[in-house]
Amino acid sequence: MVLFFSIVFANFVWANDEVLIEEQSIQTKINNCGLKILNANKIQKRVVFVYENKDKESILKSNDTLLNREVILYDTKYKNIENEDELAAFLSREIVTAVRSYDGIANGFLRSMQMKAAPKKFEVVADKRAVDYMVTSGYNPIGLITYIQKTSPQKKQDLVSFHNLTSKRLAIIYEYIYTKYPYYLKENPYLYSESYQNFLLTSINNRKKLEEKIKTNSKDKVKYE
Amino acid sequence: MNRFLSIIFILFSISLPAISYEEDFIVEKFLSEKDLEKPFVNDNYNYQDTNIIPIRLKIIDSIKSEQDIYEGQVLKFKLIEDIWDQEILLLKRGTICTANVETIINNGMNGIPASIILGNFQIPNIDSNKLQSDYEKYGMDLSLIVFPLKWALTILPPTGSLTNFIKGGHAKIKNKDIITIKYFSN
Repeated sequence: MVLFFSIVFANFVWANDEVLIEEQSIQTKINNCGLKILNANKIQKRVVFVYENKDKESILKSNDTLLNREVILYDTKYKNIENEDELAAFLSREIVTAVRSYDGIANGFLRSMQMKAAPKKFEVVADKRAVDYMVTSGYNPIGLITYIQKTSPQKKQDLVSFHNLTSKRLAIIYEYIYTKYPYYLKENPYLYSESYQNFLLTSINNRKKLEEKIKTNSKDKVKYE
Repeated sequence: MNRFLSIIFILFSISLPAISYEEDFIVEKFLSEKDLEKPFVNDNYNYQDTNIIPIRLKIIDSIKSEQDIYEGQVLKFKLIEDIWDQEILLLKRGTICTANVETIINNGMNGIPASIILGNFQIPNIDSNKLQSDYEKYGMDLSLIVFPLKWALTILPPTGSLTNFIKGGHAKIKNKDIITIKYFSN
């Protein structure tokens, strides 16, 4: 009987150790990627990165990125991250928000309030800046497109909403990459990946609008859908 | 026999599941012929020496509102003082440099101001990769008044909600505004 319980206990401890080692390896990966982005982009603000294995996100919970400059990557989101570029995509977006929360009156209190009150306005800025951060730190910005394509749902409308339509965000990111970093579209290792193919399939209309803009050399903002 | 085998081969090929990948027509039409260089990657940083030189600029033609410009527009600036790196003169006062309008955020409800984000600063004789990546100019921020007012009026519903309709100021860059960007010389 004692032997049986000893074996059960040993198994339990061993299993716990294994989970801990796995979490530690994920945390190290996140830290390395996040700190590389901060260093390469000469960001003189402190941001920390935390891997959380239980999804504690709720509407009532405060936004740690804005409040504590702490980027939390939950396991539900981590499940969708397939490579370093996508990890950098998630972290870059959050770093933009954290860095922005340092800015302005009362050590960033007011700016954080604004971002919380009107996230739609800052979403596009965060996406574009995330592309810049990724490129400067050596990651492929197409990873942001594939990550968003997999993880952000498509709402019915964004007229009365706190967020932009995901298709609109993706089109703006695509246009930004086309304008500033076209190299990554031409030399695109993601071209035949399922998520990027799905993006191409679902963004035909928006890319046609961009095509029209490029052809006519228009300076107007494209009205993506 | 050969004919039989050919027919079998053709039938087999037709019956294979077709996998067709979507090509990106934007890349095919506009980028495939271009010779593009890989953008700069900052992977050789060394922050033992963090020498930062501020570069002060003024815009040549004022911008009255974020509505008067477009994303991608190139704006011209001039240096308002000589730039020295230790004892070496890097740039003379009055040197013309440029920046791109990267993002325009329109003013919004709750007093949230408009803003103009400038990037891709091009300054002669200075490696643009060593410059601060962006500069943001905000309009008048009224949310400092709107948020307390909104909270104070919550006891009288729905008056608090009416403050939503107060809009923030437009973003302007006047030719007397001094824009400071950092140059990481090492």
